[in-house]
Amino acid sequence: MNSNIGSIKKEFNTNVLEVSTSHNETYLTVKKELIVKMCDYIYHHLDLPVVCIFATDERKIDGSFKIHYVFSEVKDDAFIILRISIDEKNPKYPSITNKIASANWYEREIQDMFGLIPQGHPDPRRLMNFEDWPAGVHPLRKDFDIKTKPPRVDGEYIYRRVEGEGVYEIPVGPVHAGVIEPGHFRFSVAGEPIINLEIRHFYTHKGVEKLFENISIDKAVFLAERISGDNSVAHAVTFCQAMEKIAGLDIPPRAKHIRTILLELERIYNHIADIAGIATDVAFSFGAAHANKLKEDVLQLNERVTGSRLLRGMNTIGGVRRDIGGRKDEILLSLSIIQRDFRKLMEHLSSTPSLMDRIETTGRIYNDIAKGLHVVGPVGRASGIDRDMRRDHPYAAYKEFNFKVIVSKAGDVHARTIVRADEVCESVGLIEQALWSLPEGDLRVKVDKIPDGHALGICEAPRGETIYWIRTSGNKIERCKVRDPSFCNWLSIEYAVLDNIVPDFPIINKSLSLSYSGNDM
Amino acid sequence: MLEILRKTIKAGCQTTKYPAVPDIAPEGFRGKPEISDKCTFCGDCIKVCPPGVIWFTEKSGEKMLSLSYCGCIFCGRCEEACGYGAIKLTQEYELASKTKEDLVTSIRRKL
Repeated sequence: MNSNIGSIKKEFNTNVLEVSTSHNETYLTVKKELIVKMCDYIYHHLDLPVVCIFATDERKIDGSFKIHYVFSEVKDDAFIILRISIDEKNPKYPSITNKIASANWYEREIQDMFGLIPQGHPDPRRLMNFEDWPAGVHPLRKDFDIKTKPPRVDGEYIYRRVEGEGVYEIPVGPVHAGVIEPGHFRFSVAGEPIINLEIRHFYTHKGVEKLFENISIDKAVFLAERISGDNSVAHAVTFCQAMEKIAGLDIPPRAKHIRTILLELERIYNHIADIAGIATDVAFSFGAAHANKLKEDVLQLNERVTGSRLLRGMNTIGGVRRDIGGRKDEILLSLSIIQRDFRKLMEHLSSTPSLMDRIETTGRIYNDIAKGLHVVGPVGRASGIDRDMRRDHPYAAYKEFNFKVIVSKAGDVHARTIVRADEVCESVGLIEQALWSLPEGDLRVKVDKIPDGHALGICEAPRGETIYWIRTSGNKIERCKVRDPSFCNWLSIEYAVLDNIVPDFPIINKSLSLSYSGNDM
Repeated sequence: MLEILRKTIKAGCQTTKYPAVPDIAPEGFRGKPEISDKCTFCGDCIKVCPPGVIWFTEKSGEKMLSLSYCGCIFCGRCEEACGYGAIKLTQEYELASKTKEDLVTSIRRKL
């Protein structure tokens, strides 16, 4: 048992009702009344971040709902999961948001999806169920049938108001110009600078988690793959990893290498696309055109190698479906050309004053804000958070390779651009290492049945850590919690834009590279 | 500025002449699935299709296996599951059509 579990037990002794361990996850069942104190202790005293909070409906088993608080422990590559039980008749529990800010959206999500009320939450408005959704209907409860069409009701959503002389509001969206997804942004400005921004999302909430419970496991991997279009590989891999952990499978080394290559190819085209977007938003069309050309080169390489531009259909539970080893020389050659051109492009970009003027010191996310909101991925790393799942909770074949985790402290758009640019080069290095050391052997192990159990899957997607928690029962998915990195990062935009001018908002938004689709699940 | 001009000239024209000149997808591309006469109507592809766009119909002494490209996700599981090599993903990707009916392909057999 690791030292942190020991400290928790010592500090709370009889209040820890039950301890169970599976894989590298330790589940501590605790009293609901003490959850705030315990989370506060683990978060502030032991300094472990909360990476996910989710609820499960276990009324069929013991008549109660459970809420899980997942803490990540990098030192031992372990997870500590606190679990509280909530009785159906008294669906209330104490909110931890006042102590741990990153719990905000999770608790509101649980309130909407399960009808469990976080008492003392500073902002108890609805999050995912909109005002026209009837009260008392909670989609993720087991007694809610997937085909239910609840009637629309009247209701109103109250936005935060900023008042004062010369303060006016600019509502943007949910329908935007251009082909992007819906989201509402409400700016309050006094003159040029933004003094407040409130975002509203979940316009396209699709009920993905409910859908998981209603399809067979072999088909579910394709659903995971389609949660967030440009993070297809990351979602599919995370889902497969969770399933493989439940089944106690060790996938063949060749499959691990191929997964690593696919994940890094995905990171490369995403990061280049983000840099292209930043160039577009400062109207530097030369840089944008060249970056988009490079992105297209990667997409075409993907298509030649895997048959799909977005690398879809490659992963399956137990390994990968196609071999890419025969394309080694082609991948290496294409990537070396892309890397050479990309480096030159980055030199151009950093020597263009009209671009640098716009991105330096713009959209700062300070380290304490980033830490408080648990901002993940390259955005977090650009704000000084040295956290990367590839190194901290290694999966696939990352343990065998050398790579640098790029961290910058500035926290502005420029820092995020540089972190991404450097990560592209690291990714190319990783693919080279994986291809040079590609082991011979099978591509997949056959999986007929997944035993009953539960496990966490974790992966560093281009946008940051992606987490799946899956419970299976009778070869079916009982509960599948998906935590996309954008779910953590969206709120940081409310802080990043403060004191910036409205015309800089698109650049800040682009530099955070937030997914609507991954968020509005 | 000069450097930008130089790079622009060097990059040249990157776009292709598509659709005037056909753009052929690479080998191994996951495109339109096609069913051939080898089909034995065993129904294995129906079981594995994630979006469920392959189905049987029986009408006036005829058995029909149909596949709709409308919901197809081009995952290639039908190809993998078919023991007779009757269903294959092709390099065809130009699937746009004005009606949903045009996007259904079927093979028939007399009962």
